[in-house]
Amino acid sequence: MNTDHDLVVIGGGPAGIAAASTAASFGLRVAIIDERVTFGGQIFKRLGDGFDLESPEALGKDYARGARLIQELEQSEISKFNSTTVLTIEDNQIITSHPVDGVRRFSCKALVIAPGAYDRPVVFPGWTLPGVMTAGAVQTLVKTQQISPGKRIFFAGSGPLALAFSAQLIKYGAPVFKVIESAPFPSPTKLLGLLSSIKGNWDLAGDAIRYRATLLSHHVPFHYGRIITKAEGSGRVEAVTHARVDKDWNPIKGTEIVEPADTLCLGYGFFPSHELFRLLDCDFDYDETRGGFTVSKDSWGLTKSSSPLAIYAVGDGTGVTGSYSAEAQGRLAGLHIANHLGSLSTQERDRRSKNFRKELQQRNDFQRAINKMFEVKQGIYRLAEANTVICRCESVRAKEIDPVIDSTCDVSVVKSYSRAGMGLCQARNCQRQIAAMIAIRHKISISEIPFQTPRMPVKPVEIGKIADPSIREEKYFIQ
Amino acid sequence: MKERSPFLVGYLDNETNQSALPKSSDVVIIGGGLLGTSLAYYLSKSKVETVLIERDDINREASGTNAGSFHFQIALHQLTPNMSESEKRRLADEVRLQVDAASLWDEIERELDADLGVHFDGGIMVAETEDEMRVLKEKDAIEKEAGLESHILVGDEMRTFAPYLAPDLAGISFCPREGHANPLLVGPTYAYRAWQNGAHFRTGCDVTRIERINVGGDLKGRRFRVVTSRGVIECNRVVNATGAWAAELSSQLGLRIPLGLSGLHVNVTEPREYFLKSMVQHIGRRLTLKQTHNNTFIIGGGWPSREEKFPKRYSNTWSSTAGNLAVALRVLPMLADVKLLRTWSGVWAFTKDFKPILGESEKVPGYHIAMVPTGFTLGPMVAQMLSQYMTATPGKGKLPSEFNIDREVA
Repeated sequence: MNTDHDLVVIGGGPAGIAAASTAASFGLRVAIIDERVTFGGQIFKRLGDGFDLESPEALGKDYARGARLIQELEQSEISKFNSTTVLTIEDNQIITSHPVDGVRRFSCKALVIAPGAYDRPVVFPGWTLPGVMTAGAVQTLVKTQQISPGKRIFFAGSGPLALAFSAQLIKYGAPVFKVIESAPFPSPTKLLGLLSSIKGNWDLAGDAIRYRATLLSHHVPFHYGRIITKAEGSGRVEAVTHARVDKDWNPIKGTEIVEPADTLCLGYGFFPSHELFRLLDCDFDYDETRGGFTVSKDSWGLTKSSSPLAIYAVGDGTGVTGSYSAEAQGRLAGLHIANHLGSLSTQERDRRSKNFRKELQQRNDFQRAINKMFEVKQGIYRLAEANTVICRCESVRAKEIDPVIDSTCDVSVVKSYSRAGMGLCQARNCQRQIAAMIAIRHKISISEIPFQTPRMPVKPVEIGKIADPSIREEKYFIQ
Repeated sequence: MKERSPFLVGYLDNETNQSALPKSSDVVIIGGGLLGTSLAYYLSKSKVETVLIERDDINREASGTNAGSFHFQIALHQLTPNMSESEKRRLADEVRLQVDAASLWDEIERELDADLGVHFDGGIMVAETEDEMRVLKEKDAIEKEAGLESHILVGDEMRTFAPYLAPDLAGISFCPREGHANPLLVGPTYAYRAWQNGAHFRTGCDVTRIERINVGGDLKGRRFRVVTSRGVIECNRVVNATGAWAAELSSQLGLRIPLGLSGLHVNVTEPREYFLKSMVQHIGRRLTLKQTHNNTFIIGGGWPSREEKFPKRYSNTWSSTAGNLAVALRVLPMLADVKLLRTWSGVWAFTKDFKPILGESEKVPGYHIAMVPTGFTLGPMVAQMLSQYMTATPGKGKLPSEFNIDREVA
């Protein structure tokens, strides 16, 4: 099946929905694609099938905001494709796979990519034990299925995520017994820095205070300046070890505390999902506070790439700045596309964009100040021991990667010699850890270490779903 | 389940990417693929002073991106229906060369004291139609005559022998000698052993110019100055082992080496319980299919990928992915629910007659080329032949005349 549109949006979170709805409101033919069964992205994930919601207000204003966005999408003329995974983008074709309908190709004049972000993996002894989970995974279980993964949950993380997620989990009834944050208690200077960008962000500041209050009222201790160093247990997590850190987040010997726990929830921030941008050969910048490598784009979200399509990049997949910023980015891209395709005058585009631009600026300033306050330090990459598995898909240990790193700075070389990064997760879990190991060994910055060569498919897919007997090769190499 | 892939026995040290280039050497090998590294090994074993320079890292191009198959059977691209007697004789000669290569692969793990994933579990060639079956039988006859064991199986015999194949295939041939090795390990292991023997390696070292010096002078004097991004080295003999880039470099010395280039597409899947011992090929379609000892399936066979200029990698296309996988499913329907993990591609360089270019130029004495179209299968053997030539008393070494490097110079 082949479908032709003015605009195709990949990703149905706040950024993607905002871009699609905005463009569609000017009469453009728009399709939105998402690999999940429902729209809303990770942040506005709704209850699973079979659950009824008696009082939506109990779920807070985020739920209501998500519901509004999703409603905007549902009431539009936009063609919606759920459970649809993008495999590759080639020339002007977006090639996707659906579990029942198989391969579907989309073509369009403009493309918005809003792929979102994923939990930052943290590698330490025991990180692959069952019971060690990322905050996103625990959140999904708790939010959509109302299931708590354990009876005694230890939460280790950093940044607004550590506070927000742990408080949310507690509110949903998950038994979190302690939270540790790697960054130090914010200094007065940093708090002042935060205050200078608080305009337009009082809501977020209020959230933070409420989250802290939730923890206090449930008597859940929250410790600054500590990092997870180990998870132990036979067959699953039974105990966790954490330690105080120095300013680079290196654990300080002698400060370790071991505590019994059956679940370890990790929330150390997010990495942007930039696989599609890499496949399209887009330019990249580096910004540690927004998740490392981020795709380069102009103020409307337009990227530079080798593709013949106009490609816009919006949302946390282009640098982690949160859902308000993501939505504003989506609106701006939608306006620019409507103008670009002749459905909106430039004057009108600029007039309508003013408020979104202001919102974006304020949200990004605040987020940047927060991210700076909780910036991830190099110590997070030094937690692994010689026997720690680095690539969990292929079971490659640190001691097997170390000797390769001596003679190369290229993650693709490490991959080909050690198999690290060859498995099912397509290196999402280990590639930054390996890049950091190289950076530490060769005393260079992690920003100088490029990704491994991008290859399609962007997500694993069953052979039977994509094999196409109608494609015939030339009979021989040389006719 | 079989055991997982072993790691390399050792790695080149820091000197490789950090130290300055030596000022001079007897031999400079340009290119760190399988040809270059295995030649460095055989030369250093004979105590020949050798420096290998590579612009990227060891084993990054065709040597590490091919699917690791041994092509002892006659390759698909060599076969045409209704072959003449002379064509058949030419093919038989080639099969004899492959049989020699097979004996080197028999010994290689012992020679290098390393597990390189070498398997001789046989190769199956399937025929879907009666026409293809006829070509399969002709191929079988040529191979038998050249001394390569081969069996034809049809009907229930085929289904009992290979129950995993689609039951309605017209027939198969089975060559017990065929096999595969891990292409990610072979070149780097040769490099490591050569380095232990005293050969020097420099990676990230790009050759910008080759100059002839002392032309007509004493044979013992340095005859070449190789200018690189990391300095200058003078040497007595140069070996161009740059594979797909052999022509580019040779043109600097006025030599024309007509090479064809093609990008080859490869797919790899998630692992599944080990069951497919033998490599599977198709006589009429582009397919090589094998299960590695990491239990993944590698599916290739010569589908094209898009040409890109170095250092960009050839890019994979959707049509090669979907088409190649469809051929694989036609032959092995049980792979339908196995997940495709990744595709990659490599460059394939070939000569008009598909024979290696191997030896020393008569026009530019001291300048050698080592280039093989079926480089993975034949590379180490050809390198060994060249090493023997280069270590023989000057004027005494011999290489097959049909590999002559000046033969294609217009």
